[in-house]
Amino acid sequence: MAYLSMGEAHRRITDYLNRFSDAVFSQDGPSLKQLLSFSSNSPSLLALADALNVFQDANRLIKQSEKYSQYGEITAPLFRSLQSYRLGNLVDTYSAFEKAANAFIQEFRNWESAWALEALFVVAYEIRVLAERADKDLASNGKSPEKLKAAGSFLMKVFGVLAGKGPKRVGALYVTCQLFKIYFKLGTVHLCRSVIRSIETARIFDFEEFPKRDKVTYMYYTGRLEVFNENFPAADHKLSYALMHCNPHNEANIRMILKYLIPVKLSIGILPKDWLLEKYNLVEYRNVVQALKRGDLRLLRHALQEHEDRFLRSGVFLVLEKLELQVYQRLLKKIYIIQKQKDPSKAHQMKLEIIIKALKWLEMDMDLDEVECIVAILINKNLVKGYFAHKSKVAVLSKQDPFPKLNGKPVNS
Amino acid sequence: MDWLNDPNSYANNIGLCGMQFEVSCGKLPSEPKLKDGKLKKSKSWETWFSWEMAVIGYPSSFLSTVFVMYVIGYFNIIPQPNVPDLSIFSRLSSCIATFTVAPTILDVGQLARLVIQARFGIITKATADGALHTRDWDTEPLFPLPDPDFANKESSQSSIPVLSLMKYKSPSKRSKSRWEPLPEEKLVEKTVTVSNDDVKYGGWDGKPLIGNSESKVDAFSDLKFSLSEQKTLSKGSQRPLKKQRIADAFNSAENGNASSDSDKEQSLAAYYSGAIALANSPEEKKKRENRSKRFEKVQGHQSEINYFKPKNAGAGNLYSKRASALMLCKNFDDGGSRAVEDIDWDALTVKGTCQEIEKRYLRLTSAPDPSIVRPEEVLEKALLMVQISQKNYLYKCDQLKSIRQDLTVQRIKNQLTVKVYETHARLAMEVGDLPEYNQCQSQLKTLYDEGIEGCCMEFAAYNLLCVILHSNNNRDLVSSMSRLPEEAKKDKAVKHALAVRAAVTSGNYVMFFRLYKTAPNLNICLMDLCVEKMRYKAVSCISRSYRPTVPVSYIAQVLGFSSTSEGNDQVSVGLEECVEWLRAHGACLTSDSNGEMQLDTKASSSSLYIPEPEDAVFHGDASLAVNDFLARTSL
Repeated sequence: MAYLSMGEAHRRITDYLNRFSDAVFSQDGPSLKQLLSFSSNSPSLLALADALNVFQDANRLIKQSEKYSQYGEITAPLFRSLQSYRLGNLVDTYSAFEKAANAFIQEFRNWESAWALEALFVVAYEIRVLAERADKDLASNGKSPEKLKAAGSFLMKVFGVLAGKGPKRVGALYVTCQLFKIYFKLGTVHLCRSVIRSIETARIFDFEEFPKRDKVTYMYYTGRLEVFNENFPAADHKLSYALMHCNPHNEANIRMILKYLIPVKLSIGILPKDWLLEKYNLVEYRNVVQALKRGDLRLLRHALQEHEDRFLRSGVFLVLEKLELQVYQRLLKKIYIIQKQKDPSKAHQMKLEIIIKALKWLEMDMDLDEVECIVAILINKNLVKGYFAHKSKVAVLSKQDPFPKLNGKPVNS
Repeated sequence: MDWLNDPNSYANNIGLCGMQFEVSCGKLPSEPKLKDGKLKKSKSWETWFSWEMAVIGYPSSFLSTVFVMYVIGYFNIIPQPNVPDLSIFSRLSSCIATFTVAPTILDVGQLARLVIQARFGIITKATADGALHTRDWDTEPLFPLPDPDFANKESSQSSIPVLSLMKYKSPSKRSKSRWEPLPEEKLVEKTVTVSNDDVKYGGWDGKPLIGNSESKVDAFSDLKFSLSEQKTLSKGSQRPLKKQRIADAFNSAENGNASSDSDKEQSLAAYYSGAIALANSPEEKKKRENRSKRFEKVQGHQSEINYFKPKNAGAGNLYSKRASALMLCKNFDDGGSRAVEDIDWDALTVKGTCQEIEKRYLRLTSAPDPSIVRPEEVLEKALLMVQISQKNYLYKCDQLKSIRQDLTVQRIKNQLTVKVYETHARLAMEVGDLPEYNQCQSQLKTLYDEGIEGCCMEFAAYNLLCVILHSNNNRDLVSSMSRLPEEAKKDKAVKHALAVRAAVTSGNYVMFFRLYKTAPNLNICLMDLCVEKMRYKAVSCISRSYRPTVPVSYIAQVLGFSSTSEGNDQVSVGLEECVEWLRAHGACLTSDSNGEMQLDTKASSSSLYIPEPEDAVFHGDASLAVNDFLARTSL
């Protein structure tokens, strides 16, 4: 660290304090935002941090004049936080920042207009990011990481401040999205439900009114929740919305959305084109799609096994596994088409033995009872129209549309 | 024993949490079903008697109050019950009380002495304190009370605790017997809580209050109840049957001998005489003091009371080291709001000396006493005893919980610990006691994580099955699957569990029942809990996809009603069972020309339903049925 004179340090600190109170006084959101944005690592903030480390008694400066001490509740812990941040002590950084943030919320409550929303967003963002980093530190020291949880409850409070009538309500969705990020990271997604309920049912919120980026993020996360619930039509709607409205140049985001949208679309019988998988590097789905096209059960099982870890981590494993029934349907349809070519009059009677033989070719060794059970399930789920005659071990298919397409509807369950 | 029912006392203490009495007691009618004529008689007699007391007491107390006030000269002071300095008021009120009961129990000399003592302030706080533990809590307002220590200083005061019973009451109010049904059930239970302490304080000094209880003031009933007179016991104490059972259980465990008395009265008598004997020992005294203080704190009395008295800490030498550690923890940290679990166990870890193999479970409420904690080698024998024991699950559960407790207080974490938890988890699974199983499972998880060897894979499989079959949360399932280590996936039991998972999610009933028959370890016990659901789903699937009929024999075979490998007898038994099951679920059965039973699928598809389970109990857990629970006392 370059040598820093006391006077210079003093100048930098008073400068910051001046800018802070000026920003609040003139209700200048953008400049206030800059003053709070730690993780931007802006040179002016870093310089201030150095100055604080040299000039230890910043609190005295704050108390010196009425102008500074008015926001001392915010700036004093903020300085402490910045100091720890510069020294790399993230746990202390978080704790002090939370204090400053609490004081900021108190002030924010009193400001009638929504001018400081931008600054509030920065606070919400910083608190999440700092908490994540503090938790990483805590975990590596063998302590229990708990800061992110604390950040979650803090943001819940912020949500409460915003969720009311008035111009501030448009900020609620941003905070919601930060909360989603925390809950998904912590694995406590059940906590999302209360926030979603208030967003979706409260009359004060008009969903279209929110900023676009928040809407996209919100739809992405709620879509993912619907994937967990296996509510495919809703998941399709939400994820498609996110895909349609997100920034078309941000490929990473598109990929994230597609990672969930593709399994959902597959479940409702819509297969993606190969180039889409190529373009967004989603090759793990390629074999799954192939298996669905060919009715190749073996390929599906291999694909699932190969990428099991990845699918389990993203949480789509169970969704993909359920595609098995569609693969069986495809296989039966193929058999049906071949039978039809041979003898159209008997095509709708499918002997169980033939299905077993076909599966044997795929190296799937299944006996009579098992295959019978699968045919029964297919009929029950309306993937095959017809009935099964137990006595003669024959599946009798309907003459009209024996293999109904899903056409965007999920498999009956 | 209201602290057994109080959920707060289990906070942060799941591991020590006992069988929830509350649950099974729910089946007991709020007015216990003892329709003893004797009992009613005693009740009415008590009520009448208390009225008589009121009649005698009221005028005499009024007059004497005036007199005493005059003597003391406090006419111009209005007593404030909430003023921390109690001396004035308690002196006054104890005098009032004295005169109320005086004609029946006190000779004039003693009375005079009391008055004089009051006058010169010799009876200070202690008077009130002694009352703390004998007070009739039904009718008592919440009131901060100071330390009870001084009460035994004055041996002449055997009557004082009793007298103060009526402290803040007008005598007419006393007519309420404490065993009369009260509007709030909670209060009744509270009374009993206190009465346990009464046992002790009543019998404290060499000459317990027998003479007084003979005088039959109804408010004494808690004291009567506390004494070993069998007659009194069988009469006065049968009504709060439930609580006494608990108290009994408590006591026998505390004494380290599981009472084998099936004769109820005998065991009760044994309990109370034992309790009195115990009460005389300094350790027990201290223990109970600590315990009662803890619960007072819960009631919000902490601020005014200074619990820590050096004299107190030194009182029981045998016990003092750990006890004083506990006291210090309580007093110097944060005003006593800490639970036992927060205390630094390093200082309190005990080395058990108890040699008894059998021990009943009692939830600890104070620092453990080495004389009732079994050392490791005895615990090993105890575990073996439980494993080969022929007794029922409740007995074994109780024994295992006490073993677990002893392990915990001695901080033993080794293969024995794992073995104990594994044994308990398996037993719990066999009878379908999921809550207990879950406790063991979570403990085992941490033990395995610490690297202690055990049947890690077996329990990984159980855990998986539990998530699959009993929570409908896909996210939980996915996350527990992704946490499985690679080598676990090769294990036979885990593989089986994963296959079961696949069968359940895809609804493949054939696969499910095949896995059911080949289940390793106790996987079958967890699968059992899912069989009914699976069968119902299978039959509704069959009746929708098959036409026109399906032979019942096929269904029986596929749905695991009979095992194919066994003889014809087995098959026919399975068939009958299957027919019965199908009928119970509303299926339509017909016979074909060969006389073989067939399921009429078309008719059945609309008539299937899930019948109400017959063995359902209203609290939802058959293993906690009240009869079993009541049978516990005679174990």
